[in-house]
Order: sequence, then structure tokens, then C-alpha cells
Amino acid sequence: MADHAATHAVHDPNIGTTGLDHRKMGMWAFLGSDCMFFGSLIGTYLAYKGKSISGPSPRDVFDIPLTSYSAALLLASSLTMVLALAALQDDRVKVAARWLLATAAMGLHFVLNQVYEFWTFVHHHDLTLSTSLFGSSFFVLTGFHGAHVTGGVVWLLLLVGLAWGGRLDKRDHTKVEIAGLYWHFVDIVWIAIFTVIYLIP
Amino acid sequence: MVDPDGTAAATQGEGGGHVTVKTYVNVAIVLAIITALEVATLYIPGIPSSLLVGILLVMSALKFYLVVGFFMHLKYDHQIMRALFVGPLMIAIAIILAVMALFSAFLLLPRSH
Amino acid sequence: MATPAAFMPGAKAEVPTFWGVIASWLITVDHKRIGILYGSSAFIFFLIAGIEGLIMRLQLARPDNNIVSAQTFNELFTMHGTTMIFLAIMPMSAAFFNYMIPLLIGARDVAFPRLNALSYWIFLSGGLLLHASFLFNAVPDGGWFGYANLTSSQFSPSHSIDFWMLGLQILGISSMLAGFNFLVTIINMRAPGMTLMRMPVFVWMSFVTQFLIVLAFPAITVALILLMFDRFFGTLFYAPAAGGDPLLWQHLFWIFGHPEVYILILPAMGIVSEVLPTFARKPLFGAPVVIYSGIMIGFFGFGVWSHHMFSVGMGPVADAAFSIATMLIAVPTGVKIFNWLGTLWGGSIRFRTPLYFSLGFIAMFTMGGLSGIMHASPPVDLQQTDTYFVVAHFHYVLFGGSVFGLFSGAYYWWPKITGKMLDERLGTVHFWLMMIGFNVTFFPQHYLGLIGMPRRIYTYAGDLGWTFWNLVSTIGAFTVALSFLVFIGNVIKTARSGQVAGPDPWDGRTLEWSIPSPPPVYNFARVPEVRDRDDLWLQKYGDGHEGAPRPKPAPVTAAEIAAIYMPPTSFWPILLAIAMAVMISGLLISMYQVIVGGLVTLLFMYKFAVEYHRPAGGNRH
Repeated sequence: MADHAATHAVHDPNIGTTGLDHRKMGMWAFLGSDCMFFGSLIGTYLAYKGKSISGPSPRDVFDIPLTSYSAALLLASSLTMVLALAALQDDRVKVAARWLLATAAMGLHFVLNQVYEFWTFVHHHDLTLSTSLFGSSFFVLTGFHGAHVTGGVVWLLLLVGLAWGGRLDKRDHTKVEIAGLYWHFVDIVWIAIFTVIYLIP
Repeated sequence: MVDPDGTAAATQGEGGGHVTVKTYVNVAIVLAIITALEVATLYIPGIPSSLLVGILLVMSALKFYLVVGFFMHLKYDHQIMRALFVGPLMIAIAIILAVMALFSAFLLLPRSH
Repeated sequence: MATPAAFMPGAKAEVPTFWGVIASWLITVDHKRIGILYGSSAFIFFLIAGIEGLIMRLQLARPDNNIVSAQTFNELFTMHGTTMIFLAIMPMSAAFFNYMIPLLIGARDVAFPRLNALSYWIFLSGGLLLHASFLFNAVPDGGWFGYANLTSSQFSPSHSIDFWMLGLQILGISSMLAGFNFLVTIINMRAPGMTLMRMPVFVWMSFVTQFLIVLAFPAITVALILLMFDRFFGTLFYAPAAGGDPLLWQHLFWIFGHPEVYILILPAMGIVSEVLPTFARKPLFGAPVVIYSGIMIGFFGFGVWSHHMFSVGMGPVADAAFSIATMLIAVPTGVKIFNWLGTLWGGSIRFRTPLYFSLGFIAMFTMGGLSGIMHASPPVDLQQTDTYFVVAHFHYVLFGGSVFGLFSGAYYWWPKITGKMLDERLGTVHFWLMMIGFNVTFFPQHYLGLIGMPRRIYTYAGDLGWTFWNLVSTIGAFTVALSFLVFIGNVIKTARSGQVAGPDPWDGRTLEWSIPSPPPVYNFARVPEVRDRDDLWLQKYGDGHEGAPRPKPAPVTAAEIAAIYMPPTSFWPILLAIAMAVMISGLLISMYQVIVGGLVTLLFMYKFAVEYHRPAGGNRH
């Protein structure tokens, strides 16, 4: 029987004939697909913009300072994410875990801000999913973005758990890199949503 | 590893070697500044709507490019990764614009009724 | 753990037990087995959808018929269309993607074998959920394209639309996961020397198809999410009373739906592009042009969707834009047809069943394309839309096109997959019965449409002049059914006593014919070095310039085989698919099921992800 370790050392099943990692390639393909997903949701929002027949208007309910703060949070979390990856590639696992935790924490803060925002819309402005086209399209679009962020937070916390359990090190940098790609994508979708939905009149 | 398209050579930068922590922090600072400018533009009195929209779109496109190019490393990655993302992005943007036109969000295509 | 030692010569085979065999299929990650799973499931769903079609044709054979009620008829055409598209043609194409792509590119498996298995089990759960509607007497009845706001809870209060909506979401997830898998496989796992332009054309068409899948399905995912929120949570996306526009559904659906028809036809075009050169003993005429045409069809396919909506009142500008785009897209399609004809011209033709079906494809798809080009003109389409003319058009391209193409692939690759040749005489009978039956069924429907017979009607009056050709069409349908029985008989006969096929029964041109039939689990004992698109042909016969063909390489040693690493089986794909199915079907039953199912799904996703992640301090596998 062939020498197991030697066999596996020769062939990393994750690297393809272009020298690129399958998982990184797969993640970029997924992010391209997710552009179409959010594109359809944003297109829906814009198609219905200004066509609600009743209920509060965006200007009535949007809290620009709060959402600007949330936008800044996500941008900052993208920074901590790349710092986490850089630390891991330097084999500084504890430092990487801390940056990952910071990223997750900011992501969680973002989600909590959104929950608060949704709560005020419902309870202070009488804007719900079924109030108007604005209510429907706003909550579904930002809700699905928030769900993506939540999924990202869970993913990051799992990585932190693996790191604390001694199961993550420099060899796993691709896994952290693709988590990072997903996280940054969620950030750039927010860049688009923030501008197109909140800022543009 | 045999490399039929001669592409392996282009995969340097995989480990983040070209982008330093300093660069990341600088990009983050620029992003913060642009965000602040975006919000500030909103409060410029009497700014015409089309100019406001134009400025906001340009600024957010710039932020988009910075995050994708530097944080997501696409500027330094193999062109395959770029193709897998940029192509679909272009199609998505085209479809957003088409749907807006079809629903008269631009008032370009008048409804026939 | 799959031990290569089991494949060494002289190794003792384990005696398989019944449950052992079943288990091995449930936990397989082998692309060839997954391909067989897709193909068998697709064929069964095809038969179910075919029976639904036959019942419809029975009902329409005579005017004022009462074999089924109007409600049942609505369910029949909804399920027939949905099943044929999502549970028959797409998975049958997926069967070929799974089995053949790694073989054609000289790889040992796909990029993500467990994800591959997961895609299959998710597909199966989606098909089962859709058909569970029969058990609950809530069969989908809103048409395969489910137009809003017929599908709203106001006008479709029962669960029938929910089964359809959730079933399609599940199927969409399955297709997209497989799409990512094949994209990475094709880009990243080609044998050394196989540049993109040296890839077989079937792989190219499949490559474009995967892009279409991952880019088009998000649009229908959103359309279905908006519908789900309208039905379950009271949103107003398709609610006219609140300013909502039912056309939003139509746009989102067809942004998916048009690329979808290219998803349905490109794989079959790829198959034809492999079969014709083999049976004409000539390379594909203008292969690069065929490839570029496929890419253009895929790309521009995203710009024509509203040609399904010429009658809704979009206005002359939109109508003209989509009309022009639609006419333009006929160009690369037509180019391919000429390339196929050019392949045959001057070739040394061997008439065998795979070739018959490919020739049938060319003829029938061209006819479907001609009626399609007519639809591209909005004023003409206003006459034809929602009539049987459209029904004739899409059956010519989907049955005459996709189904004929898939059968061509089945007869062509059956020897590789099973090691046996399908019977040639039965194959010929199958072909002619199907060809004649298909045309008798659908050609008259062009006429019926033009004299005014609408689609989706469950009966008609006897004094409209539609009676005779409806009867003829029904006779044709049963002839097609008979041809299927011939095929099934052929399959059974071949399994029992079919002629053994060697590795290369057709004197093929591409890599799959260089390995045994059926292939060993590792496909290629030695990873091939590729010099040409028709590399095997080059190996066998040289290219006329070198003189002699390449010398045969040294035989493969046992040590080489022992060094091959194949991914081990895993039970997480099927378990995760079951958890997802429990979670999603909970939307029809109770929120507790959704929550519990959701938590279990998250847990299983984690277990799936860390299955090969090392334990604390240990080495990775």
C-alpha cells in the first residue's frame, strides 16, 4: 500500500491545474451569482420607487445618521477582516482570531442597528411589510442583506471557535480568505444599497 | 504542476504579498472620507437632483472599486477571478437599468396605455 | 475510505449485500454514479410528465370531452411543463454533465465531489416535494410560469401554488450548486495541454450553460421570494390594488426564463457537436465558430426576455428593442446549424442510432427555430401568442431539439456508461416511431394555432374546425409513447444480453473513448497529456503531417494505480439535503418545523464543512 502521507503531500485536492484554489474560484463564481440576486431585488425596489399609493415615504422614515454609522461599521469590519487574514498568513493565530472576532462583532452591531431601524419603522411610523410598495420592497431588500450579514457573522464566529480550539492556522488561510471575500461582498452590497436607497432622493 | 494556459505565473499575490497592512489602513481611511463626503453632499442646499445623483453614484462606485480591488484582492488576482465577478456584475447592472426603464423609473419609455 | 488497493489486479472483491449496495449509492460522491442517479430519476419524471401529456391529448382528442375537469386539466399542463423542464430535461442534461465532463477533460472527478452529491439529493427532494402535492390534493395549477396575480393567495388560496413555489426554490438551489461545481471543474481541472479552445465542444456548451444557470436562477429565486412574501407575509409586490404590478413577476420570471431555454438546448447542441464528427469521421466544421456562437447565444440570451411579453403593452420602444435583439440572436444559432451541415458534407457517414437522433435534432430544431423567428416580430406574435402555434414552436425546439439531442447522447454514451451497446435495430425503430409520432403530434398544432385555437383550454366546441387535427395530434402522441416503450425494451434487453462494448466502439475522437467501458472509479489510470481537441483521434491516426500515429505508451503499473487518491464516500450530502427539505416543507406545515429543520440544517452544514478539517493539533487527513 502506498505511503499515505507522501501521496497526500504531493497532491492538494483543492488546487487545480491553473494553480488556483477551487474554493476561491467557487466563491468568486458564487459572488457573481449573488450580484444577480441583489440586482433583481434592487431593480424591484427601484421599479416601485415613488409608486406607493399610501403610507410613509422614505424621507419620512430614513435616519441617515444611523445608517451612515452602519455603513461605516461595515467598512471598518472589512478592514478588520483583511487584518485577520494578514495575521493568519503570518501564523499569528491568536491575533487573527481577535480580528475575526472584531469583524463579527461589528457585523452583529450592524444587524442590531437594522433590527432597531425596523422596529422604529414598524412602531413609530406604521411602516410594515404590508403597508405599501415601499414597505414591502424596503424590508425584503434590506432584510435579505441583513440575513446575508447574519450568515457571515455565524461563519466568522465558527472560524473564531476553530481558532480557539487549536484547529486553525496558517495552512487554513484559504478558508479564511473565502470567508473574507463573502464578508467584503456583503459590504459592497451595502455600499450600493446605502447610496441607491438611502441617499439618492 | 502542469499549467496549460500558462496562468500559474499570474497567481502571485495569493498570499497578500503585494498588499501591506499600511495599504489596507489607507484604503479604509479613504473609504471613510468618501462616505463622509457622500453624506455631506446630501445636505448641500439647492443642489440640483441630477448632480446629486451623479456625484453619489460616482462616489459609491469608487468605494465599490476600492473594496473589490484591494480588500478582496481582485486587482492582484488572476484574471479568471476578475472575469467570474465582473461579467455577472455588468449583466446585473444592465438588468437593473432595463427593469428601471421598463417600469418608467427613468420616464424614458412611456407606457402605451 | 476508498482504498486504491481494491482496484489492483488480483484484489479480492467484497461480496456485496443488498443494503450495502443501497447504502453505497446513498453515500456516493463518484460523479459517474451521481450521473446515473440523475439520469434514472430524470427518466422516471419524464415518464410521469409524458403520461400527463397523454391524458391532456386524450381530453383534447374530441370536442366537448369530459375525461378530466377543467381544474384537473390546469393541473396537468402545469405539472407537465414544470416536470418536463425542471425534473426531466435539466436533470437529464445534468446526468451527462456529471458523467461525461470529467471524462472529456481528462479529470478524475469534479472539483467538489460532496457538493455534487448534495446537488443531486436536493434535486430529488425538490422533485418529491412537487409531487407530494398529489398526495395532499393540492396539485399546482397556475401554469409552469405561474403568472401573478393568479398565484396570489386571493386567487389561489390552496397550497397548490405553495408546493410549486417551494419546489422550484429547492430545485434552483440544486442547479446553482451544481453550476458552481462544474464552472470550477471546467476551469480548474482540465488535463495538461487542454487549453480552453482544445476542450470538446460538449464541454464548452456545458460551460456556457453553467454560467447561464448561476446567473439566471437568482432572478427566479427573487421572483419566487416576492411571491412567497406576498402569499405568506402580506407584502404587496404583485398586488394591483396597492400599486403593485403583476408585470414585475413576468419580467423577473422571463429574465430567468429566457436564459433557461438556452440552458435546455445548449447541452443537446453540445451532444450533437460530438456525435456528428464521430459518425462522419470528420472534425467538427469550424469548431471555434461553433464555440463562439455558443458564447454569444449565452450572453445575448440575457437581453431578449420580453419577447415573451409582446402582448402586455410595454410600448413600441420596448417591443422594438426586444424584437431586434431576438432576431439578432437567431444569427449565431443559424451559424451552428450550417457548421453541423458542413461537418456532414464530405464525411464518411456511418448510419447508427446516435446519428439518427442528431440528424433529427438538426431538422426539428431548425423547424422550431423558424416558428421562433416568426414570434420575434411583435405584430406577428400578437396573432400567435397564447395559441397552439406557440405550443408547436416550443415542442419543436424542446422535444425535437433537446429530447432528440439527449437521446442521441444516450445511445452514443450508453456503451461507455454500461459497457454494453444498445440494440441497433430497436434503436432504429425507436427513432422512426418517435420522429413520425412527434411530427404527427406537433406539426398540426401550428395550423390549429393559426386558425385560432388558444393554449391551455381543456375542451373546445365541435363546430370550430379544430376537431380533426386535434385527433391526429393525439394519435401522434400515443405513437411517441409507443416509441418510448421500444426504448425501455431496448434498455432491458441490453441489460440482459447486450453486446459487450469495448473502450472505443464508435472509433471516437475524444478522451472518454481511451478508457475502459465502464470506466474504473478513477477514470484515468494516468492523467492524459492533451495536444488537440480530438486528441484521441490524433493519438490513433496522427494528423497526416507526422506520418505514423503516436507510439503506444508503456502499460500502467499497479504502483501508479495504488498512488491514485479518490475522495471517500460521505453521508453528509444526503443528510443535509433531508434537513433542508424538512426545513422548507415546514413552511407548509408549522413554524416549529421550519425552526427545528433550520437549526439542524445549520448543524449539518457545519458538519459538512468541517468533515475534512483536522481535529485539534492533528494533520489534515
